[in-house]
This record gives sequence, C-alpha cells and structure tokens, in this order.
Amino acid sequence: MTYSSSLALNRSRFQVRNQNSVRFRTPARRLGPISNTITLIVLACLLGLLYLTQVTKTNAYGYQINSLQQQQASLTSQHDNLEVDSARLQSLSRVQGSAVAKNLVPVAPSGTVQN
Amino acid sequence: MPNTNNAGLAVKRVRIWYGLMILVLVIFSVRLFYVQVIEHGHYQAAALSDQLKQYQIPATRGIIEADDDGADVPIVLNQQLYTLYADPTLIKSANQTAAKVASIIGGQASTYAAQMQTKDTRYVILAKQLSATQQAKLLALKYPGLGTQAQDYRVYPQGDLASQVLGFVDNDGAGEYGIEQALNKQLAGTPGQVKAVTDVNGVPLAATKGNIETSPTNGDNIVTTLNLPIQAQMEQILAKDYQSTKSQGLSAIIMDPNTGQIKAMANYPTYDPSNYQSVTNPSLFQNAAVTNAIEPGSTMKIMTTAAALNQGVIQPNTTFYDPAHWVVDGFNITDIEEDGGPREQSIASILNLSLNTGATWMLMQMGGGQINTKARDAWYDYMTKHFRLGQPTGIEQGYEAVSPVTPPQDNGAGIDLTYANMSFGQAVQMTALQEAAADASIINGGTYYQPTLVNQIIKADGQTTTNQPKVVEKNVVSSKVSQDMIPLMEYVVQQHLLSGFSYMNFPSNYMVGGKTGTAQIAQPGGGYYSDKYNGTYVGFVGGDKPQYLIVVFNIEPGVPGYAGTYGGQPVFADLAHMLINNSYVTPKTSP
Repeated sequence: MTYSSSLALNRSRFQVRNQNSVRFRTPARRLGPISNTITLIVLACLLGLLYLTQVTKTNAYGYQINSLQQQQASLTSQHDNLEVDSARLQSLSRVQGSAVAKNLVPVAPSGTVQN
Repeated sequence: MPNTNNAGLAVKRVRIWYGLMILVLVIFSVRLFYVQVIEHGHYQAAALSDQLKQYQIPATRGIIEADDDGADVPIVLNQQLYTLYADPTLIKSANQTAAKVASIIGGQASTYAAQMQTKDTRYVILAKQLSATQQAKLLALKYPGLGTQAQDYRVYPQGDLASQVLGFVDNDGAGEYGIEQALNKQLAGTPGQVKAVTDVNGVPLAATKGNIETSPTNGDNIVTTLNLPIQAQMEQILAKDYQSTKSQGLSAIIMDPNTGQIKAMANYPTYDPSNYQSVTNPSLFQNAAVTNAIEPGSTMKIMTTAAALNQGVIQPNTTFYDPAHWVVDGFNITDIEEDGGPREQSIASILNLSLNTGATWMLMQMGGGQINTKARDAWYDYMTKHFRLGQPTGIEQGYEAVSPVTPPQDNGAGIDLTYANMSFGQAVQMTALQEAAADASIINGGTYYQPTLVNQIIKADGQTTTNQPKVVEKNVVSSKVSQDMIPLMEYVVQQHLLSGFSYMNFPSNYMVGGKTGTAQIAQPGGGYYSDKYNGTYVGFVGGDKPQYLIVVFNIEPGVPGYAGTYGGQPVFADLAHMLINNSYVTPKTSP
C-alpha cells in the first residue's frame, strides 16, 4: 500500500460520519375499522360458502345412495320373480302335465309287484 | 364557534344512533338467547318432527325348501306383487278406465267401473297380487286416480303341496300354522331401521350428524326333511284313498325311524296356501297329523307287546289260553267274532287277530297275572316315559296336540278298565306323529328320536347348520325286543295277505310289517258311539332293516268292514308300494 492510498482509505472510513443526511421514518400501513369489518365478513362468507359446498356435495351422495338402493331393490325383485318362474316351471305338477310326460310309457311293473 | 357547535351536534347524533343500535342489538341478543338457549328443546323438537324420518326396513323372509333326490328345491318363495287401487274422486271416465284395466288384469270391467264410482271414499282396492308386468302396463296408462302398492307375498311354486305342513303368512307378516308359525322368528329375520334427517323428498341427508341406519338381517332359509317326490305321491294317494274309503279325513306320515326325519306328511282334504283367505273351514289349516289326537285302537298293541316283552313278562313265542273275554271292573272285554272264541293263542296271534283279550292279558302279566297297581304303574311308565305319550314331540309345527295319559292311581272310576282299554288303544289319545315317534323307537333298536321336519338352517350370510338326529330317549326297549317286534309285525302283513288282501303282497326282498287299528270314537259327553270308528295303521318298509315307518289315521271311513283293515290298511299298502316301486327302499342284501 502506498502512502497516498493509505490516506485515501483513512478518509473513506470517516466519509459516512461526515455526511449530512436526514432519515425519515415510514408510517405503518393499517386498515381502518370498516375495511377490517368488510374483510371479516368476506372471510366469513367464504367459509360459509365452502361449508355449504361441502355439505351439498355430501348430501348429493345421499341421492346416489338412495338411487342405488332403489336399483338394488328393483334387481332383487326381478331376481325373485325369475326364481319363482323357474321354480314354477320345474314344479312336479307342471312336469307331470307336460306333453313329454304324457307320452312317457310307465316302466315300473307296479301291477306285477303288487300282485 | 359555529363550527364547534356543529361538530358537537354531529357527535351527539352519532351517539344517539350508536345507542339505538346497541339497544336493538341487545334486544336481538336477548331474543336470540331466549330462542336458542331457553326454548332450545321446543324448537329442536318442532324442527325434527318435520325433518326427522324414522321407519323400518323390512327383512326378507327366509324361503323353505324340500329335498328332491339330493337337490334342494324351493317350495315357498317370496315375490313382490302389487295391489291396484283407485281414488274415485279423481277417476274421470270410470267405464273407459275400467275397460282398460280389465283388458290388462282380466276380470269384469263392469265390476271395476262400479268400484271406481264408490262414493264417500278415496281408496278402493280393485285387485291384488298383480305381477310386475301388469303393474307396469297399468302405470303406463297414466290414468288419474289409479295407483299401485307393492307388497311382499309368499308364493308356492309346487301349488298346494304340503300346505298344512308349511302353513302360511298372514297380512301382518306373521307365520300361521305349520312351519311358518313354529319357526316364525327364524324365518322372519330382524328388520333394519332408518332414523335420519331427510329432505323434502324423504331422502336422508348424508351430511347430518346422528343419522342411524341399521341394515335388516334377512330370515333363515329352512331346508326341510320332506322328500318332494314322496310327498307329492303320498298326497295323490291320500286324495285317491280319501274317495275310495269314503273317509271324513285322512292323515299319513312317512318317517325315517332311524333319524326321526319326516319324509312326507300330509292330510286330506287340504287347501291352497296362496289363497288361504278363501278357506271357509279353518280346521283345514291344521296339520291334523300333528294337531288331531285320537284314540288309535289296536295299533297300540305294538306298544303293549313291546312293553311286556321288554319287562320280560312274556316272550315272543309265549302262548296262553285266551278265554275270549275278561271281566274288568264289571265290564266285559271281548274280541271280535272272527277271532274264534276261547283257545290257545300266541303273541303273534294277539297282533294278527288283534285280540283285545290278548292285550289285556299282557297288561295282566305286567302285574304278575292281574291288573293291579303294579301293572298300571308299569304300563303308565312305559306309555309316558318310554313311549313319551302325553307330551309334545317338539316337532317344528304349530298347535301340536297333547292329550295327557290317565295316571295309574285308583280314581274310583274303574281305573283297571281304563288301563285295560289303554292296552288295546282306547281311553288314550295321541296324534299320528306321537304314535309314529313311539313306534319308530320300537323298530329301530330302541332309540326315541325327536321327530323333525328341519334338515338344514341356512343363515342370510350363508352359514349352514345341519340338524343332527336328536336322541330323546335311549333304551326305550332293548335291541333284542326291537329285533323280536319286527318279525311279529311282518307276520301280521303275511297273514293278511293269506286272508285274501292281495294288495298286501310285497316282493320277498323287502321287509314289510304292520298292524291295523279300529277305534271306537268317543262321544263328547262320555261313552262311545256304537257306529263310528276311526281306522289306523302303523307299518314299516325296509330291506335289511326298517327304512320307513308309515302311520295312517283314517277318520270315520265309510266303507264296510273294520275301519283299520278297510280304511287304514289299503292306504298303508299304497304308500308302501309307492316307496318300493320308486326304489326309495334299499332291498335286502340276501333275500
């Protein structure tokens, strides 16, 4: 370091101290009571809307459940009807009275067995 | 200065408004507190009464099945059918509407039209039990004033088969008679419940707290022990023999004596359970084989003989001198003329000739040679403790009849005569089922099985419970006595064939035994009708051992001759031949 550069450095150390500067304090931004109230109301409304959306969505499932239950009942009823039809078609009286059965020839020699 | 005054006035106004607002808020708050807190309960109840719906979800009733040669076949099912109703105040053109309705569901249009014009009512039922197809067609008409209501019904794909064993379900959903009554709780299941806040359409709001929905537990399915083809053929035989024997009522049971399972049980006349409302004679609802206790007559001698053999007071080959009449308590006990008067008789003859004097003699042997306290006590013990007469069998049927056995103590009313009568089947009553269960124990080696109609119970979740034979009493008689009784009963059948009853001819590779019974019918005021008899028959069919026990009760058959021989025996023979001819009986391994 040269002598001149050493002086320059020493000067620069006290440069800030010798400046004639004024510092202003920036005022804090604050909402007024009306703004606060409106903000709170908007927030409450948003929360309410959110709640309503969720409740409506959940309740819509109730309709889906109801619809599925009705569908299930309808299918159960159809199943029962088919089961009844099937059992009736296989009933002994129906089979006995069928054209096929009427054309059958008895093979059990019941007369011989009994006498 | 004026500025200062104006500002002060403004502040004053604001304060007044502020005060008013505070006042209003206070009033609102007080009112809100009153409504929300103090009157909370009242308003909550009012709101819930409108929004909260509470109703039951009906459980599906269990079905009933029967065995069809190894497969389970439904004999009682459920079906949703529809009731058609009309609101006469909304019907526009009764004639036109009625004509259209009649074209869909049948019936007389004029009848429907008249019903649709009924005054002072808003609900007239036009038809019941309509199918889903008919209901859809009716609704498609979109006629004002017509509506349908769904209702669950029991349906019977096999028609009136086993109707008295099954019973029916009444309009309130309760089982009546037969299995439906006895197993109502198991068949009905447990209804579910919904308790929820609903919207205007009655749909539960899913987001509401506290909603309760419990699913119903459907009823159990019952698989009966009934064998469908045997049951069907037995009913045909009963219908035929009811006519041919001019009967007033015919009941029969086919039981597996080695398990107590009922393979077939029927009565004639019967009824159609799908149309039970039209039955005018309620006694038709009864399963007479279980609910009608009668004096069985000489079929009782099977029990008397078995009891005497088991006590060792007689042997199968014992002979005795039969005087052809005894005087007991001043009354004559005699045999029928065909029995041939006083002579030496055997135990087999007592059964074959159906000797009342022989049965009385066996009772005497229980008392050391006379009817006394010892004889009465012994016979009472056998009737009530061994053969379990006078108590219900516990079969899964409604209204099982029980007729108490007269106790052996001397009641001053001719107790010896009563007991002598009991030895040949008078003065003691039992149902066909009670006699079947008792006699089964005599031919199966000595075990009294509880008669049952239930083979399996299938829960709604598929869990299946198979009923095992329930032993009620062991050593009813010894196995030796049981083995002795079988040939004695076979002897009766063989002798009846030789006497000219050709229908009692059975193939030699099967064992068939039996006993007839002809019983005088008691009069309501005491004594017996001199001209009214019931005919009964107890027999078995088997190969190496008895496989089926058959009991027939024929109420007042109108054919000439002894009721047991001409009213009971032919029915037994028809049933026995049916079992053999259809290969339900396994023949002897060495004929």
